[in-house]
Amino acid sequence: MAAAGSAIAPAAGSGVRSDRLERFVGQALALLLSMVIALALGSILIVGYGENPIEVYSAILDGSVGSVDGIGYVLSIATPLIFSALAVAVCFKGGMFNIGVEGQYFVGMVTASWAALELDFLPAPLFVLAVLVAGMLGGMAWAAIAGILKVKTGAHEVVTTIMLNGIAISLLAWAINFPLKFANAPPGQNVDLRTDVFSDKVRVGDIGQYFGVTPGAHLSWLLFVAIGTAMLVWFLLRRTRVGFEARAVGSSPGSAKAGGVSIGATQIRLFLISGALAGMVGMQQILADKGYLGAAYITLLGFTGIAVAFLGQNNPIGIIFAAILWGILSRGEVALQIGTDVPREFIIILQGILILSVVITYQIAKRRLAARQLQRSGAAGALEDSTAFDERLESTGSQDAEEAARPSDGGGPG
Amino acid sequence: MTLTDAAVAVQISFTYFTIIYLTGLGGLFSERSGIVNIGLEGLMIIGAVTGAFGARYFTDTLEMGQPWGPLLGLLFGAFCGMLFAGVHAVATISFRVDHIVSGVVINLVAVGLARFLSQAFFGQATQSDPGGPHLPDLDIPLLSSLPGGLDRAFEGLSPFVVVAALMVIPVWYTLNRLRWGLRLRSCGENPEAARSLGIRVSLYRYQGVLLSGAFAGASGAFLASEVIGNWREGQTLNLGFIALAALILSNWNPIRLMFFAWLFGFAVAIPLRLNDAPVINLLPPQFIRMIPYVVTIVAIAGFVGKVRPPAAAGKAYEGGGSL
Repeated sequence: MAAAGSAIAPAAGSGVRSDRLERFVGQALALLLSMVIALALGSILIVGYGENPIEVYSAILDGSVGSVDGIGYVLSIATPLIFSALAVAVCFKGGMFNIGVEGQYFVGMVTASWAALELDFLPAPLFVLAVLVAGMLGGMAWAAIAGILKVKTGAHEVVTTIMLNGIAISLLAWAINFPLKFANAPPGQNVDLRTDVFSDKVRVGDIGQYFGVTPGAHLSWLLFVAIGTAMLVWFLLRRTRVGFEARAVGSSPGSAKAGGVSIGATQIRLFLISGALAGMVGMQQILADKGYLGAAYITLLGFTGIAVAFLGQNNPIGIIFAAILWGILSRGEVALQIGTDVPREFIIILQGILILSVVITYQIAKRRLAARQLQRSGAAGALEDSTAFDERLESTGSQDAEEAARPSDGGGPG
Repeated sequence: MTLTDAAVAVQISFTYFTIIYLTGLGGLFSERSGIVNIGLEGLMIIGAVTGAFGARYFTDTLEMGQPWGPLLGLLFGAFCGMLFAGVHAVATISFRVDHIVSGVVINLVAVGLARFLSQAFFGQATQSDPGGPHLPDLDIPLLSSLPGGLDRAFEGLSPFVVVAALMVIPVWYTLNRLRWGLRLRSCGENPEAARSLGIRVSLYRYQGVLLSGAFAGASGAFLASEVIGNWREGQTLNLGFIALAALILSNWNPIRLMFFAWLFGFAVAIPLRLNDAPVINLLPPQFIRMIPYVVTIVAIAGFVGKVRPPAAAGKAYEGGGSL
């Protein structure tokens, strides 16, 4: 689902533009509606706690974007989420569901940490670059397993990535228990298992100081890398052959194949790109924040990235804003804790409601849109258009070619 | 390593078998009805936090004592798991959201919801006080008097271990002999045909998904109250995904699921008890923990014989699933 830009421009020229516009408006409305629903349901909860919803919501805003420090924290939270959501979106465009970002970023952290500990002899800028590349290669390697298995054996990527996530957790645990375990126990304190602290050369610079943001926010130039990457991904998907093939495979594998696109090669390519993006997810944590690799079991950055990708409707630019919105909510927790009687866990519930309503309203909007376009093409008597309709209706992602050709999931509620 | 260690490892494996098997049965009902459910982990989490609360509430606050308190606590966990699975059911069946998307959201929301509930129940977000009430332990008659330390495998088990193992009979009978079960399966195999026979597909699918929530919720409640003694964030340890792995390997068959649930339960138990056993001591414990996942990948990729789900199991997803 949510493969937003399914438009491999259908041949019927004139209708395309209005279709696109209609889809864009439809998506925007769905997004808006889901936010209203989430805020409304949230308000009910807030009233249940005996507080005024408007005050609570403004406390959240005030605590997050109401100060320079707050904005710094928000952007810092958003940085890894942008990478994570992009990784999900890239595969989505190709009709695949990479729920293995979680595992891929774990492996990326392990390989990056290895590089950060072993390649100390490199001069500073090269060293950082090498570490980032190592992280991306780690993520790529892990994603490649799922991609190759899918293409060569037909193993569904959802199942393999779930299993690879499980393996990656143990792999990280093993890495910090054995090969990368700290040699010098930090003096005087009883610490968890982790690697040695990386050399200062490889710590990515704190840019917060230039904007008056507290160093505690760990705002780094990785934020700009993330935003730049989002634009790059947008360009890749919209303006290059790779992107065109990806969207063709995602929206209609059958016609892509007929058009001479190698489905397998495209799928593996997308998984590699996705894995490289996933490999960047952990860099904020180990290079800007902690400066070492520790046990990071329940961060869920990979899964949260899926939520952010939905919220940004798999549009790279939309993802930037979605990640910032997520950051605002997450940072708002602190303000809730201090200023109101509402427990901070309320934020997580609000995020959950938001993502659920986004998923559902978007699905409804998509069906409505498809029905309208079917009606219109029917009225025009243009039966040729029905293929384009099928493509749009079935741009649901994560299906195999043959399955995607089925017009509807029959047997649903009549 | 002694024989006793091995016996204790087997005893632990029975406990993990129970968790994996109950959750796997949940997945079985949902997926046999045609709804892919990768939200089992999330359903377990909700079952764990509510089950831990229920056990305390019924036992201590309402002073019901043994065995009704812990028993009702478990049922409460199952009930809440069922409610939460309702979200998955509404999203996938009524609103036709992609099953995988909804499952991911379920897992994600569960973590937050569990913290929220935990704060409300226990006044702290990530755990409850240890040492909660649980059912008295059970020694299996006859087997628990085996000589040579082997008795340890059958001592001190939760009664639910026996219940879970016996569950295979009603589940198998329901799915293979009762009209309800056959209809449920037909919804997963060929919804169009089922519908043409006048079966209300969405109704059966709702029941399948809600049952999956009840089983996974009970499993989570069992983990929190009976095994650990309190709710703690992260205590489900991806067992929901291991259950999914066992389910896939079993070809969605409740009898074969028993075997894989026990096998993976044993794999979980090895690093806890058998680290110094021959062969095993050559491997770091983290590698042992990878076994269930590796086995599943190898199987699903078709590297070992014909272990890919047969045509019928593949069709179980036809009604809008994407596996």
